[in-house]
Amino acid sequence: MTRVRTALPIAAAVAVATGVTAAMLAPADQLQGDLQRLMYVHVPAAWTAYLSFAVTLVASIGWLWRRKPGFDRVAASSAEVGVFFTALAIALGSIWGKPVWGVWWTWDPRLITTALMLFVYLGYLALRRATLDPDARARRAAVFGVVAFVQVPIVHMSVEWWRTLHQPATVLQPGQPSIDTPMLITLLINVVAFMLIYAVLLRLRLGIAAMDDQRAARQVAEGRELAGGAVTAPHLEDTQEKEAH
Amino acid sequence: MTAQAATTPSPWRQCVELARKDLRLELRTGEVLLVTAPFGAVALLFVPLAIGPDTPLLRQLGPGMFWVVVLLFGVLVTLRQSAADGPAQLAVLRLCGVHPGVRLAGRALANAMLLLTFQAVLAPVAIALYNPDLTGGLWLIPAMVLVAAGLAALGTVAGALAEGLAGRTILGPLLVVPVALPLLLGATQVLATARHEQAPWPWLLLMLAAIGVIALTVALVARFLEESA
Repeated sequence: MTRVRTALPIAAAVAVATGVTAAMLAPADQLQGDLQRLMYVHVPAAWTAYLSFAVTLVASIGWLWRRKPGFDRVAASSAEVGVFFTALAIALGSIWGKPVWGVWWTWDPRLITTALMLFVYLGYLALRRATLDPDARARRAAVFGVVAFVQVPIVHMSVEWWRTLHQPATVLQPGQPSIDTPMLITLLINVVAFMLIYAVLLRLRLGIAAMDDQRAARQVAEGRELAGGAVTAPHLEDTQEKEAH
Repeated sequence: MTAQAATTPSPWRQCVELARKDLRLELRTGEVLLVTAPFGAVALLFVPLAIGPDTPLLRQLGPGMFWVVVLLFGVLVTLRQSAADGPAQLAVLRLCGVHPGVRLAGRALANAMLLLTFQAVLAPVAIALYNPDLTGGLWLIPAMVLVAAGLAALGTVAGALAEGLAGRTILGPLLVVPVALPLLLGATQVLATARHEQAPWPWLLLMLAAIGVIALTVALVARFLEESA
């Protein structure tokens, strides 16, 4: 276990270094030139977001099936990391879009559905935050974790269903990938690097979630009130006196 | 036939009775017709004020604005205060043997009726304020029914997820609105397609498919939602 703890960040760092080197050495695009190199971070970020939400889906189903707290922690942690990667994909896409399309943002189905996916999972996190009881929180989040995943295939298929500004899928499509082999290899190296970063972040977040659960359990065992528990509704003085009598 | 089977109403009957209970509560409080609908009308009135008196532009924007207002304010309709069951009501329904799916279906049915009324009130306001091109306007009727059904189902799930939470009326829209994209897309495209003298069946089918997926999800997760209530 300790070996995994140390090996995973090292593997991620090596993969990132390899990915950056490969992205620099890969041939430049004929039309876009060096700008196209943003693809090596934009696409892996989006795919890692898909992976994160798929893990949330599986862990949510796992919780509904087995009711083990570990599944809830995995679902929540993966959703948080997924939100980070979705926001990163949107930001990188926007940086890429400005010089290529001439705008930071355009009303393109892929962009809109991705932004909506971000909000769906922000809603998931808000639902978790709003529910104080751990069991109810896990149950509600698991149900929404299953419902929310509907958005992922919509995002992926949006470029096929509505042909607009964003280019259609080049790798995750039926048939051969429509991309040059050196570019494809570079992209896949970066995908691996991003997935290792995801694994590192997920592991860190899981550790925090486990500590949070331990702290909450300790507070319950000690009979201590949670933060804010000491705050009571204000009373008028004479009302308090009447209540006392 | 046992005595219990003879006295237990069918799931459909239970669903209708629960919907009637919700509608009766709405009749007493008037939250939708007296509060939410005027609020929606104010929103429709504010848009031209913000854009300016550009009549051709407003004519073009009108249908889209109508659906956006229906979607955003319709979520409030589905999450209205009178739709919040307390633990006592839920306990009684459980003791009566009402299946969680039937309870949610009853709520969704009542919500759909209220949303249809809400749309019927707002549509003339939108027509009067924006004067949109109503070519193929009859197609709006199935679109309104499907939007009401889909939004009602989504709102019912969100209401159950946020049941008992302090911020349920804020959290609910965040849970519903992003997932309601197929409904908004279908509804806006129905009139746009009909205007070109084409039957908007693909958009109606998209909405119908989305409702099917939502209904299936509600049926699958109803038991878990009941536990969390």
